[in-house]
Amino acid sequence: MIPALEARSLSLVRDGTTVLEDVSFTVAPGEIYALLGGNGAGKSTTLLTFLGFLAPSCGSVLVNGRAVAEDVDGARSAIAYLPEAASLYGHLDAYENLGYFLDLAARKVSRAAMDEALDQVALPREARGRRMQSYSKGMRQKTAIALALLRDTPILLLDEPTSGLDPVAIDEFHDMLKGLADAGRSVLMVTHDVYGACQVADRVGLLRGGRLVGSFEAAAGERIDTETVHAAFAAREAA
Amino acid sequence: MSAGLSIAREEWRLWARSRVVLLAGVIVAVLLVVTSALTALRVADEAEARAARQASAEATFLAQPDRHPHRMVHYGHYAFRTPPPLAAFDPGVDAVTGQSIFLEGHRQNTAMFADARAGADLGGFAGLTPANIYQLLLPLLLIIIGHGVLLRERESGTLAVLLAQGQSALTLAGGKALALAGVVGAFLLPVTALAAYGAARGEPALTAALMVAGYGLYLAVWAALILAVSLWVRQRSVALGVLIFVWLLTALVVPRLGINAGSAAIDAPGKIESDLVMLAEQRKLGDGHNAADPAFAALQKQVLEQYGAEKVEELPMNWRGVVAGYSEKKLTDLMNQYAEKRMAQEAEQSRIVTLFGFASPTLAVGAASRTLAGTDLATHHRFLREAEALRFDFVQGLNDLHATKLTFADDAKRSADPEAEKRTRVNAAAWRLLDDFRFVPDPAAARAARAALPLAMLLGWLVLLGGAIVAGARRLRP
Ligand SMILES: Nc1ncnc2c1ncn2[C@@H]1O[C@H](COP(=O)(O)OP(=O)(O)OP(=O)(O)O)[C@@H](O)[C@H]1O
Ligand SMILES: [Mg+2]
Repeated sequence: MIPALEARSLSLVRDGTTVLEDVSFTVAPGEIYALLGGNGAGKSTTLLTFLGFLAPSCGSVLVNGRAVAEDVDGARSAIAYLPEAASLYGHLDAYENLGYFLDLAARKVSRAAMDEALDQVALPREARGRRMQSYSKGMRQKTAIALALLRDTPILLLDEPTSGLDPVAIDEFHDMLKGLADAGRSVLMVTHDVYGACQVADRVGLLRGGRLVGSFEAAAGERIDTETVHAAFAAREAA
Repeated sequence: MSAGLSIAREEWRLWARSRVVLLAGVIVAVLLVVTSALTALRVADEAEARAARQASAEATFLAQPDRHPHRMVHYGHYAFRTPPPLAAFDPGVDAVTGQSIFLEGHRQNTAMFADARAGADLGGFAGLTPANIYQLLLPLLLIIIGHGVLLRERESGTLAVLLAQGQSALTLAGGKALALAGVVGAFLLPVTALAAYGAARGEPALTAALMVAGYGLYLAVWAALILAVSLWVRQRSVALGVLIFVWLLTALVVPRLGINAGSAAIDAPGKIESDLVMLAEQRKLGDGHNAADPAFAALQKQVLEQYGAEKVEELPMNWRGVVAGYSEKKLTDLMNQYAEKRMAQEAEQSRIVTLFGFASPTLAVGAASRTLAGTDLATHHRFLREAEALRFDFVQGLNDLHATKLTFADDAKRSADPEAEKRTRVNAAAWRLLDDFRFVPDPAAARAARAALPLAMLLGWLVLLGGAIVAGARRLRP
C-alpha cells in the first residue's frame, strides 16, 4: 500500500543551521501519526516540507507516493493543513471566514455543512454570526479545525491542534480524529500533549534536535503506553 | 483567476470596513475637489482677465489716430496664450512663466530673458494643484492603505491559512495586486473626470486619455512597489518605514538632485549677467533712432551706390526708415541669438531633469503630465518664438511704412514744421497689419511623442517591480 505521507532521509538546512537531519517515517492511509518533541525540535518544519513551503536539502518527502518537489499543487490539494497558532480574519464571522477560505480551496460548502462541522468542534451556535475578533483562543482554534475538516481531504496535517482547547473539547477532538481515521483519512499531528498523543495516535514519533530519536507503535488492540513515551521523552530531553 | 478575485474582494471588504481607509479616501476626495475647483477658478479668472486685457490692448492700439509709424513701434502690444484645457489639472510651467508677454520695438519680450535659475520646467512645486496631489499625496495614501496588504496576514497568522488552501503564492500576490489596482482605479476617477471635462472643452481625446493612463501607470508603479516590499520584508513596520523612505527619496530628494544636476551641468547665467553682456554687444550695433550713427556708414555707402545717389536725400525711400528696419533686424538677430542660447540651455536642463525620471517615477510622471497638458517648457519656448516672430513682423511692417510712405525731408523737419509733421503721419488703417495672434497648442500626436520617454520610464519601473513581485512571491512562506 502506498503511504499517504512519507519522509525519506529528510534533511533541511535553514539559514545555515541544520533543522532536520535524516528523518524517515511513513503515515499509512487511515493512520494517525503523532509527532512529539521539545520546542524547536523541528516538528512544524517537518509539516511545512510536506506542503512544499520548505524544500529538503537532502532526501525527499512524498505525498500519496509522489515527491512533493515534483507536484506541489497535487500535494497541497490532498492536504488540509492546520497551522500552528492558526488565525482567521477578525473582521469576519465564522461563516464568512469558512466561506472565504473554502472558496480559495475551490470548495463550495453549504451553510448546513458549515454548521455540521462547527457542531463537531462544539463552537457555540450564538458565536458563529459574530466577528471572530470577539472569540476566545479556543473558539478561534475550533473554527480553524472546522475549516480543515470542511476541506474534506484524504490527509490532515495538524500543528498543535489541541492548543487552546479545554479538556472536554480535547477529548471530543480526539474522538473525532479517530472517526476520521476509521473513515480512511491519514493524520499527521504535532503535539506537546504526550498523554493525548498516546490516546489517539497509532504511532508516535519523538523528534529531538531535528532527528527522529524514537518511534512507538501500539500493540494490536491496545493504546501506546504513555509512561514509556514520557520516560523516553524526558530522558532524551535531559540528555 | 477567480481565487485572485476572491482575495481582492476580501481585501476591499476589509478596507470598506476600516475607518482609516474611509477617512483617507474622504480627505483625498476633498483635497482633489478643492484643488480642482481652485485651479479651475484661477484658470478661468486668468482667462477672463487675459481676454479683457487683450481686447482693450487691441482696441486701444487699433483706435490710435494717424501717427508717425515709429511712435507705434514703441506703443507695444500684448501677446496672449489661452491655457490648454488640461492646464486646469496641471498648470506646469505656466504657473511660473505666466501666459502673456508684452511686445515692443527694439526689445525682445521680457519673458524670454527671465532668470534661467528660476527653474521653470524643473518640477518646481508651484502651489497645490490636482497634479501635485496625484504626484505626491496619492502615493503616500496608497502606502498607508496598502503596506499591510500581505504583512497584516503574516502578522495575524492568516497567511499560513491562506497558503494552506492550495492557492499558489503567485495567485495570492495576484489577488493582492488586484486589490491595490482597485484602489488605484478609484484614485483615477477624479483625473478621469477632469480629463473628460478637458476633452469636452476641446482637448484631443488622445492626450486626455494618455493623461489618465500616465497617472494610472504612475500609481500602478507605487502599488507594485508596495506589493514588492510586502513580499520581501517580514514586518509591517519595516515595510512602512522602507516605503516612506522610498517616497521621500523619489518624490522629494531625487527631483531636487535632478534640478541641481541640471543647473550644475549647464551653468546658465543669471539675468543680470546676460543683460550686461548683451548690452555691450548691442552698443556696437548702433542706435537705430539716429540715422547718422557711424555704425550705419557702411550700409549708407552700399545703399547709395546701389541707387547711384550722392546723398541720402536723393534716395527713393526714407533713409531713416531704412536705418530703423536695418538696425531692428541686427538687434533682433543678436537678441534671438541670446534667446536661442538661453532656451537651448533651459531645454538641456529640463532634459537632464527628465533623465532623473529613471530614478524617480515622480519626476517621470511630472514631465509626461506637463507635456501632455501642453504646459511644458517646450511649448512655452514655442510660444516665445512665435511671439517674437510676431513682434519682429509687426515692427518691420511699421519700419517699412516709415521707409516707403514718409519722405526723408518731411521726417527730418517734422518737429519744426507742423505741416511736415502732419505729412509724416500714416493712416491708422495702414498698421492694422497686426495679426490676431492665436497660439495653438502642439497637436496631440506631437505631445504624445514627447511624453513617450517619461511614460516608457514608468512602464520600465512597472516591469521591474513586476519581476520583483514574481520573485518575491516564489519565496513566500507562511
Ligand atoms: N524562519 C526561520 N529561519 C531560520 N530558522 C528557523 C526559522 N523558523 C524556525 N527556525 C528554526 O528551525 C528549528 C525548528 O523550528 P520548528 O518551528 O520546526 O520547531 P517546533 O518543533 O515546531 O517547535 P515548537 O514546539 O516551539 O513549535 C528551530 O531551531 C528554529 O529556530
Ligand atoms: Mg512548532
